[in-house]
Amino acid sequence: MADTDAAQTTEPLDLVKLSLDERILVKMRGDRELHGVLHAFDQHMNMVLGKVQEIITVVSLDDGEDATHTVTKEHEMLFVRGDGVILVSPPRR
Amino acid sequence: MPTNPSEFLARVIGQRVVVKLNSGIDYRGVLESLDGYMNLAMSGTKEYVNGQEKNDYGDCFIRGNNVLYIAADKQ
Repeated sequence: MADTDAAQTTEPLDLVKLSLDERILVKMRGDRELHGVLHAFDQHMNMVLGKVQEIITVVSLDDGEDATHTVTKEHEMLFVRGDGVILVSPPRR
Repeated sequence: MPTNPSEFLARVIGQRVVVKLNSGIDYRGVLESLDGYMNLAMSGTKEYVNGQEKNDYGDCFIRGNNVLYIAADKQ
């Protein structure tokens, strides 16, 4: 049997495979989130995303309070290097 | 008691788990699958930052390099 130590028929990457051509949320290192259409990915979680909204959370230093705000950038097409990826979440079905 | 780490992981598949990442963020949900890199697929996933619920992701994939530990959750 080709299965690894954990006896199972599916692997985590199948969840990502099911999200191809869907709008996904990617949580990245550096307090960044990407929302975009998943066009391609590989075993490293390198990804090609289209129509991307990049949301960067910034902690403001001026106030004593923990004031955060977000900066949003738009990208038509993006290659994402896999090592920055923390989490991938498909759209709710 | 499991006699090795893989046996523990095999035993908690399909169960509720708490996954802590190196950043200190916790994810609670049902562990659906994992692979040799410790990549995880979870369902009903909720994100906790400093013990407070911050997000409800439903299904999610977590890249294995970020994982600090996987704990069996109560009930």
